[in-house]
Amino acid sequence: MTREELAPKVKDLIVRRLKLEIDPKTIDDAAPLFGEGLGLDSIDALELVLGLEQEFQIKVEDEEVGVKAFASVNALCDFIEQKKTA
Amino acid sequence: MPSVAFPHAYPFRFVDTVSRPADEGFSGAVRIRVSANSRAAMGAGWPSSLLYAEAIAQAALLLEAGDAETGRRGFLAGVSDFESARLPLAGETLDVDVRLAGRFGPVFRFDGRVVSGEETLARGSVLVRKGDKGEGQGEGR
Repeated sequence: MTREELAPKVKDLIVRRLKLEIDPKTIDDAAPLFGEGLGLDSIDALELVLGLEQEFQIKVEDEEVGVKAFASVNALCDFIEQKKTA
Repeated sequence: MPSVAFPHAYPFRFVDTVSRPADEGFSGAVRIRVSANSRAAMGAGWPSSLLYAEAIAQAALLLEAGDAETGRRGFLAGVSDFESARLPLAGETLDVDVRLAGRFGPVFRFDGRVVSGEETLARGSVLVRKGDKGEGQGEGR
């Protein structure tokens, strides 16, 4: 799967799992997901962890890894690509 | 299990006994007797299905934490995909099954089911956060 195909899937996962009322296309690839960006919190992070496990068969080993992976859509795509090729 | 090990105190402690201790994959069960004399029932039965969510959270924290001190320092942080068929009546005995669905740092998600005999009264997921309210605020935000 190319980055151009993966990024929309990741955005769709974020919007669907977190029940956000926004168009996935409006999420900036580089914008932070937590804090000033989408404003996600640690409970949202857990939903993303479960979403990655169920939909991408990827495990997030610990909080430290997750914090880096959830920095942005780009970071999450990097994380998924890295896990899929490992 | 001695009552001192339970994380919540009367009148807001629902769990009476641990019927199946947590296993390594984290799945366990507790039993709750709905008493007409309890503050939660106040007569005929529980007044709100939200108490099911609290009961699942108490069961989850008790089974996961394993000791009263840790359990006291956790709290119900959210409810997801929850449904309830009816409220329990005084005199019923409820069995609450909980299973750890995932965790991220101090936040845990548990899937729970409450049954009375063969009848499923409620099911859904709860999010619990270990630690005192306010502790670690700002992290992840």
